[in-house]
Amino acid sequence: MKKYIIYGSFAAMGILSTVSCTKNITDLNTDPTKPAAVSSAALYASATKEMADAITSTNVNLGIFRLIVQQWTETTYIDESNYNLVTRTIPDNFWDAFYTDALMDLNEAKKVLEADNNTDATVKKNMLAQIDVMSVYGTSVLVNTFGNVPYSSSLNSDNLFNKYDDAHTIYTDLIKRLNADLANFDESATGMGSSNMLFSSNEIANWKKFTNSLKLRLGILLADVDPATAQTIVTEASAGAFDTQGEYAKFPYSTIPPNTNPLWEDLVQSGRQDFVGSNTFVDYINSVEDPRRPFYFTTIGGIYKGGTNGLKSPYANFSHPGALLEKKDLPGVFIDYSEVEFIRAEAVERGWAVGGTAATHYNNAITNSILYWGGTQEEALTYLARTDVNYLTAAGDWKQKIGMQEWIALYNRGFDAWTAQRHLDYPQLVPPPKAQSGYPVRFTYPIEEQNLNTANYDEAASAIGGDAAETKLFWDKF
Amino acid sequence: MKRALLFFTMLMVSVTLTYAQQRQVTGKVTGPDGSPVPFATVQIKGTNTGTTTDQDGFFKLNAKPDAVLIVRSVGYVSQNIPVGTSSTVTIALKSDDQNLQEVVVTALNVRRNKNELAYSAQTVTPEELNRTRDVNITTSLAGKVSGLEIRKNNTLGGSTNIVLRGAKSLTGNNQALFVVDGVPIDNSNTNTTDQLKGLGGYDYGNAAADINPDDVESVSVLKGAAATALYGSRASNGVVMITTKKGSRGLGVTFNTGVNVGKYDPSTFAKYQNKYGAGYGTGYGSPDGYFYYTDVNGDGVDDRVVPVTEDASYGGKFDPNLQVYHWDAFYDKSPYYMKTRPWVAASNNPSAMFETAVGTNNSISIDGSSDKGYFKLGYSKFIDKGIMPNSRIAKDLINFGASYNLSSKLTASASVNSTIIDGLGRYGTGYDSKNLMTNMRQWWETNVDVKEQKEMYLAEKRNITWNQADVGALNPIFWDNPYWTRYENYETDGRTRHFGNISLNYKAADWLDVIGRVSLDTYNEHQEERSAIGSIDPSKYSEFKRSFSEYNYDLMLNFNKNITQDLTFKGILGGNVRQTNVNSILSSTNGGLLIPRLYALLNTANPMEAPTQIATREEVDGVYGSADFGFKELLFLDLTLRRDQSSTLPKGNNSYYYPSASLGFVFSKLLPQTTWLTNGKLRVNWAQVGNTAPALYTRNYYDVPTGIDGVPLASVGGTKYNPDLKPEKTKSFETGLEMSFFGNRLGFDATYYKQNTVDQIVPLPVSRSTGYDYKVINAGDIQNQGIELSVFGTPIKTKDFSWTINVNWSRNRNKVVSLPGIDKLQLGDYQGGITVNAVLGQPYGTITGSDFIYKDGQKVVDADGYYEFTNTSNHTIGNVNPDWIGSISNTLKYKNLALSFLVDVRHGGDMFSLDMYYGLATGLLPETAQLNDLGNESRAPLSEGGGIVLPGVTEDGKPNTTRIANEYGTYGYYYNPDKAFVYDASYIKLRELSLTYSLPTSVISHINPFKGVDISLTGRNLWIIHKNLPYADPDDALSSGNSQGFTVGAYPAVRTFGANLRLRF
Repeated sequence: MKKYIIYGSFAAMGILSTVSCTKNITDLNTDPTKPAAVSSAALYASATKEMADAITSTNVNLGIFRLIVQQWTETTYIDESNYNLVTRTIPDNFWDAFYTDALMDLNEAKKVLEADNNTDATVKKNMLAQIDVMSVYGTSVLVNTFGNVPYSSSLNSDNLFNKYDDAHTIYTDLIKRLNADLANFDESATGMGSSNMLFSSNEIANWKKFTNSLKLRLGILLADVDPATAQTIVTEASAGAFDTQGEYAKFPYSTIPPNTNPLWEDLVQSGRQDFVGSNTFVDYINSVEDPRRPFYFTTIGGIYKGGTNGLKSPYANFSHPGALLEKKDLPGVFIDYSEVEFIRAEAVERGWAVGGTAATHYNNAITNSILYWGGTQEEALTYLARTDVNYLTAAGDWKQKIGMQEWIALYNRGFDAWTAQRHLDYPQLVPPPKAQSGYPVRFTYPIEEQNLNTANYDEAASAIGGDAAETKLFWDKF
Repeated sequence: MKRALLFFTMLMVSVTLTYAQQRQVTGKVTGPDGSPVPFATVQIKGTNTGTTTDQDGFFKLNAKPDAVLIVRSVGYVSQNIPVGTSSTVTIALKSDDQNLQEVVVTALNVRRNKNELAYSAQTVTPEELNRTRDVNITTSLAGKVSGLEIRKNNTLGGSTNIVLRGAKSLTGNNQALFVVDGVPIDNSNTNTTDQLKGLGGYDYGNAAADINPDDVESVSVLKGAAATALYGSRASNGVVMITTKKGSRGLGVTFNTGVNVGKYDPSTFAKYQNKYGAGYGTGYGSPDGYFYYTDVNGDGVDDRVVPVTEDASYGGKFDPNLQVYHWDAFYDKSPYYMKTRPWVAASNNPSAMFETAVGTNNSISIDGSSDKGYFKLGYSKFIDKGIMPNSRIAKDLINFGASYNLSSKLTASASVNSTIIDGLGRYGTGYDSKNLMTNMRQWWETNVDVKEQKEMYLAEKRNITWNQADVGALNPIFWDNPYWTRYENYETDGRTRHFGNISLNYKAADWLDVIGRVSLDTYNEHQEERSAIGSIDPSKYSEFKRSFSEYNYDLMLNFNKNITQDLTFKGILGGNVRQTNVNSILSSTNGGLLIPRLYALLNTANPMEAPTQIATREEVDGVYGSADFGFKELLFLDLTLRRDQSSTLPKGNNSYYYPSASLGFVFSKLLPQTTWLTNGKLRVNWAQVGNTAPALYTRNYYDVPTGIDGVPLASVGGTKYNPDLKPEKTKSFETGLEMSFFGNRLGFDATYYKQNTVDQIVPLPVSRSTGYDYKVINAGDIQNQGIELSVFGTPIKTKDFSWTINVNWSRNRNKVVSLPGIDKLQLGDYQGGITVNAVLGQPYGTITGSDFIYKDGQKVVDADGYYEFTNTSNHTIGNVNPDWIGSISNTLKYKNLALSFLVDVRHGGDMFSLDMYYGLATGLLPETAQLNDLGNESRAPLSEGGGIVLPGVTEDGKPNTTRIANEYGTYGYYYNPDKAFVYDASYIKLRELSLTYSLPTSVISHINPFKGVDISLTGRNLWIIHKNLPYADPDDALSSGNSQGFTVGAYPAVRTFGANLRLRF
């Protein structure tokens, strides 16, 4: 019997030693398929692409701004043209694109770069400034979409319940950051190089112009709420912003999926026919015989015809987005010379010292746009000579003149067109008869925030005056 | 652990035997009919020496010639047999109806008499299991075990959600563990997250479907943690123990052949109004606005054309006198080319697409055994064709098992199972163009005849669809020709699996077995998905390959020793090493295909993106021990302890213990013998089970999207992993009462349980402003408590006729007791702004979305006559948990004829239907085309007395009287909050019906070589007796997983009728 016990004990010890031997099983828990370290440039580039996608897309789950500003309307499924934001959780998707896909990666790019001691100090400084400018850009889009948003404590997984910062306070900080970035740019060195994505030559010089242009845009949006500050910002920024025909900050899309212009995916690759020109827009550009029409739209029976905004509009009966918009590698535009010139025109009207006359800036803006889309200098001259276009004779006050033309020039830049329209209050857009809300001047907060960050959501909703699409942003005084 | 070892060693020493002139006695224990009685106790009277019989009733024992053997087995009268001089004895036991008890296979494949168990276990016999011969063993369990909730996707070969006693884990795996012959079998589900969310994709089923139902000898379901603690981590959700057949004495051959046919159940599919046709209302150009208006025939006059670009049925009123051009007028191979046809409802609505499902199954098994061992060999082939065209799943199952007694002490056994599954044309799921149910339930033109679509596709194999991009265009706009979808955009898949084990059993002493076992479960699967050139979706071919392997190494010491005559002891000391490796790779063409119908990666239109790879390795090392004491068959005490060390937890936090203690008290032994009380047992147990983290939960990596023209991209992943994770723990308490009366004619088993799962490892959905989608944390305390009741009875039992009833009933109440600093955990988010949540203080699975505005309980209607609803979407609008589930099965036997039927009930629980959300909006359902309160067509213009008045009150509380137009969206999502589409998911179903006839032995004996001939007729899902969810099966689930309560593009239930012939030689 004894020997059995001995056997048994040996066996038991065998078991114990097998399972508790010193090998480190924790090492098995590593992922051989993914990197644990990446370059800051790669993180920066990915974030930049995500933001370009979000503002360029016409996907009904994400980028419905062309519909809100009534440049386009939908053919069969007219929900988004009627401001249904909930069914497809559009605010959630737009919010996610900026926080998790863009700002988080920029934040990480900054951390990785700060810990990197092998990069030349000047280059590193330029790169950090580029990361910061894109981060300011992304934050400004969020503020311009929602109003108060989480900012000071955001992008940190230790803070699960982020307070929403006051939108105006965020703006003040964004301007401060842009000023610091401008001071840090050093043209004697490069920055991200080919990963900067926005400019293919004169990298840092162009980045300074881009940064000033962005500052200019943020400045002019403050004009109604805080004119004195706005004036300072605008006059400072105007001097360094885009000043030459054809200048713009763009995202260069590829001809190879999945990095094509997202517009191509929805207009061409999907095989769907969801969008036609809206009569609100098409009727107006018809009335001014805009030379950009052949680039903006196709014709139906030789004419440009828009579907009744917000009502279903059979694709065959109405003008479709033009061929240029179907190009796989059509660049996404963050800001361009036209927009800068419109802002300068407004600044002149407000009596701020940015040089030139309102009419010159207005003409430059329109001419730049016409040439960008493929029109000629002659067409621009003819167009500007029309009494309903000419700055001296066109209808309305400066807000209306600039607003109507900026609406046209910011075709295919739905988000920026929406921002400009809310700022200038022209064109005066009327919601479709069965719209689910009044004209949306912001997005409602994401459903996720209602569920996952309830207390802060409630506080923010009450701070901005109610979480409705009709609640005006802090800068949208009128 | 060392201390535990010491304890066991001491125990062994204390029970050391005295030996004296002993010799070996071998024997066999049989029942009154000569059949072997396994696991009978054979004890030498007056000593502690004893053994148990093996599978075939044999035993060996050393005994003195003057010894007397006491032979006991539950269900039989004990007998005393003097050994005498013979070295072999055969003992025939008389059955004891007073004490008939079943043998239950418990954790680690240990067989116990049910009466000894101090925890809840329920067995299902193969007859019960395979009564209707479903190819998937997991679905066959539905309604047969109390506390087991099964939900199945109605797709062909779809996955099954198997949850015991409610969901314990907030976001992790809640599926019961399947164990075959002591070896855990992987039951992974490889469906994509999009598929789980209802966004499209295929349901590839789960891997437990690889178990051969014909090879099953018994199924025991161990529900609570005390029963399963020895299995370690994976058993915290309960275990389904499957024991496969062992060879029977002599040689046996069984041949089974069956065929079944299935028809869709019309009560679970959409019905179509037949008054109005295609369109979203007016505005299409014709004078009435309902038709496109263009000169088709060139006569200079505009003609009416059906709005072919539209996928709704809010169009013109049908009128047989109105001649219009339909979709087929523009296709030159069509008989209606350039011809008009009357404007009428289709003769064949989409239900005409459902074909008759046909399944065949054939199996043969050969087995045999002798003193030296046994073997078995089986082959089964199942072929199932579904109700959707071009769908087929073939399954080949081969199993081999053998055992050989190498010496009187050493037995070697092996079991090998191979399964080959070939799938073709599984049904698309979710909100997707490949799910025709989404098309037909939500977006359909009632004038489209699905048979004409079929003819058109078959004629030229082109995508000639009713839903043209433009009048006369031959390319699709939103929906493909449904037959194109089925025949051109099909998937194929396959899985080849091998699982089995080899083991050596060394009988070191009468009371000690040493078992060493190596088991392997490995499979390779592939899934190919296609989207043909010319479809709505961009053309594409993708290939997914996954390999899985799991090794289990076990060494186990089994002690079986009586300490005194009255005090029995069984002990286990063992160790287990489990290694699991999973590798997968998903490759896909990029930006379309170039050559039509060539489905290969080289046919990519653009350079391919890098494939998506997943590689995980896991190891869990465990040691365990158990000690089971029995006192006079009156009191039973089981103690178990296990320690696991897991590779997926961080060092320092990676080992954890599972203690359990169970006490059983057979109180009927103490009561005076009565005629009415046969048996009574009270049991109580407590256990704590640990659980480890999924692989790769402790460290963050970066995502690397495809670079853009040479510029590399990288991104922070969406989940913040946690380097400080701790194991999660489930604490469970259970108490139960089992009683049987009148010689087991009536009995019940009632259980109350309470389980708390704490420190759950949860990927917590977080506000995206954190920069992440999820953060992995240890959190929460979910409590499940419930009652399970099984009642059995035999109201009638005569020589020729018997009637038995089994009732299972259970209710589970779960509650989120604590969450880490939050009050709501989002489990899933869906289209429509719907989320399913775990809310603090409420049951797990709260459906939230937008709701009506109420005034004094009445829905508020605005000044325009439409419902007002919340602009926020965080209102509780439902709860997915049923109040209770239950089933009743009846078996009526008359001589050799047996009739069985099973009725299955779920009461309560809610479900959100995206099919109704859209289907009511687009006007294809009959509700949208009824007469209104004035007796007029509600779709008529308001000016003509049409329109409807929504029930509700105005803001000032007065009844609503404002009439609104009945148009696109009136009944659907557009003008109604999410709450309007939440339905009660209760049902009562006639789940199974079978009629079996066994040829009487008197007949069989004349027809050599048969030992038995059984003929059966079966039916599954024949009748949904009651339900509240319109046009769909409330039992249908998106997939297995935690997200339940949302239905989209649901397939109808299938009524299956079958016939089966079983021959035993």
